[in-house]
Amino acid sequence: MAEMIRKSSVDEIVNHWILAGSCILLMITGYAFLFHVESIGSVLGGFNTMKTVHNWLGVVFVLSLLYSMRHYLRDALEYDADDKQWFKVAGGYLSHKVKVPPMGKYNPGQKLYYLVILVFGIVIAISGFGIWFMKDNMTVMLISHLVHNIAFCVFVIAVPVHIYLGTLANPGTFKIMVSGTMPLSEAKKKHPKWIKSVGKV
Amino acid sequence: MANDITKNRKAILVTPENCIGCRACQVACKSWNQLPGIKTKNNGTYQNPPDLASAAFNIIKFSEVPSQENPVRWLFLSRRCMHCEDAGCMAICPAPGALYRTAEGAVAFDHDKCISCKLCVNACPFDVPRFDEEGKVSKCNLCADRIGAEMQPSCVKTCPTGALKFGDRNELISAAKKEGFATIYGENDLGGLGTIYAFKDKPKLYGMIENPTIPSSVIFWHSYLKPLSLFGLGGVVAAAALHYLAIGPHKEEEEKKEEV
Repeated sequence: MAEMIRKSSVDEIVNHWILAGSCILLMITGYAFLFHVESIGSVLGGFNTMKTVHNWLGVVFVLSLLYSMRHYLRDALEYDADDKQWFKVAGGYLSHKVKVPPMGKYNPGQKLYYLVILVFGIVIAISGFGIWFMKDNMTVMLISHLVHNIAFCVFVIAVPVHIYLGTLANPGTFKIMVSGTMPLSEAKKKHPKWIKSVGKV
Repeated sequence: MANDITKNRKAILVTPENCIGCRACQVACKSWNQLPGIKTKNNGTYQNPPDLASAAFNIIKFSEVPSQENPVRWLFLSRRCMHCEDAGCMAICPAPGALYRTAEGAVAFDHDKCISCKLCVNACPFDVPRFDEEGKVSKCNLCADRIGAEMQPSCVKTCPTGALKFGDRNELISAAKKEGFATIYGENDLGGLGTIYAFKDKPKLYGMIENPTIPSSVIFWHSYLKPLSLFGLGGVVAAAALHYLAIGPHKEEEEKKEEV
């Protein structure tokens, strides 16, 4: 068997699944509220129960999101010249012929994605708490409702892109979400700067 | 929405001019809808209870507005849900069936389907919906059970002066116009209200809001954000499928060959 290198720790994998699971369920129940999808409400025992599920999943989601900062935030805030070049070639996703610059542990697309999710995740959580707890303040309620829905649009556009890039578009990537490891040989090609920094070259 | 409901739409016509402030409508409403009494304090006004409540679907609003001819002018205005055609409460409500349109065009509520989110309260231009002690929406439903059985709403039935009239909305409006009222409040506001008012004086004197509108954030959300959330997801899924077919996934082999 090929030599493997650990990319994600166990707590990172577990937390990412909690984040992903709560996020997807929140989006599904969110759509159900938005478009009165009675079948989804029925699965969860009616819209009253679905509201409770949605609210508490939101708590799970935001706690998981805040915890994820210890895994990704430092990387997500650092950008270098190669990252700039990465954007110029669109990460190699629009053509296989371009040369993609050497990457660290995460490419800048992933790093920006994380920042978007972190910011809008906090925004959607705060506005969600506004709708949940500030029912008698009209201004807070209406602004929260608007902001919650703007952030929702960001999520339903950004998250599917992330899922596509982490599965079909990059075969093998999904395995990291299960085992946390990837073959060293592959890591040397995809993340040369990361491998160099951990001294495996 | 010029559907059958709009054509057969029923309405209450309030003529404040004719109201003597007897509040029989308040009592009849409580009686029919089995609403409990509310303990209130005398706060120096004829108006009691002070505002709409979960146990007060309608009230007589009282304003003392002296004029030159009449130094003791008491204005009475029967207030209840306006049963808007473009109802902000219905637009924002996330629970299907909690607020619904009856065949006669009224906005009615279903206590059991309400999820207690109170969004309707904040989207109503007229500050109508209230929440009962169970946290469920409650408001005038135009006596949907009575009018469905071809009876008048209980408030109209009991009104002794004709200040409240119930019937075909278009007929009520044309009759009021023939009688020469200066303003038919609610004829066109919010797509046409289901509680319309015939005024000789300015509606503002009675405390009516001018040009009622649904909060702009709710309109923006309804017209742009809701479609965006759907087309955004659909667009991303379509773009991903297109990318997969046209450009294809990342391939290690291909890169190797190029590098050589």
